[in-house]
Amino acid sequence: MASELRVNTLKDASGNNSVGMSYVANGSAKIWANWTQVSTQTVRDSLNVSSITDAGTGVTFPVSFTSAMANNDYAGSYYTMAASGEARSSWNNDYVGGFGDKTTSQFGTQSYAAALVDSGVNDVTIQGDLA
Amino acid sequence: MASILKVDEMQGVTSAGDITITGEGTATMRLQQGLAKAWIDYKGTSTNSIRDSLNFASVSDNGTGDYTASYTSAMGNANYSALYSAGVKNVITAQERLSAIATDSYRIEMQEDGGSASDSSYVMIAMHGDLA
Repeated sequence: MASELRVNTLKDASGNNSVGMSYVANGSAKIWANWTQVSTQTVRDSLNVSSITDAGTGVTFPVSFTSAMANNDYAGSYYTMAASGEARSSWNNDYVGGFGDKTTSQFGTQSYAAALVDSGVNDVTIQGDLA
Repeated sequence: MASILKVDEMQGVTSAGDITITGEGTATMRLQQGLAKAWIDYKGTSTNSIRDSLNFASVSDNGTGDYTASYTSAMGNANYSALYSAGVKNVITAQERLSAIATDSYRIEMQEDGGSASDSSYVMIAMHGDLA
């Protein structure tokens, strides 16, 4: 049987290392993912991502969520290797990768290195409020 | 009334690694999945040192601008999300790359825009994914 515990604060058994449940809920990543855009776009591993769609060279749109966010003001960090390999061997700061449109249920990403390019490694983490 | 739970370890009842929490609204999520599994602030200049970290056992200096960091607890696979940032003092166009990523470590290298390897005073990284 499922059990539910309602508390405001968590501490270790010694009474140290206190953290409020608001920090647990607010501070946890609500979405993270690692995927490739090369050939068939595929999610290698993720949290709260239901699907991704290939929207053209270097473009993933949408990255759809299983559980929606409360608003579209969430914070996101996106890394693209901006190269077709999967060994993370490229120097990334010469490249531009960014978010496309984002809503409460999805966002998009673009991988760019002089031109849009399918990237073998794309990593994203989203912090914000779940609906 | 405020309530405080004092424990050293939490496990799910049905599955040890699956505790559900309610988010800011009504949606729920898996507690373990949303937590960062490793993060670090590393000083790569002069005497290399870890300023602060979670789940890192050590960082090896492989040479100028080249470091390998090892986890205390390994990741479950090498498909975790790794977001990082590093800076080279007084060099605006420094570049960095994760040149190897494994379940027990990663290797990060950095260089100036001209291609010269360069130590970084701030190497910061956060990992989200599955612990082994």
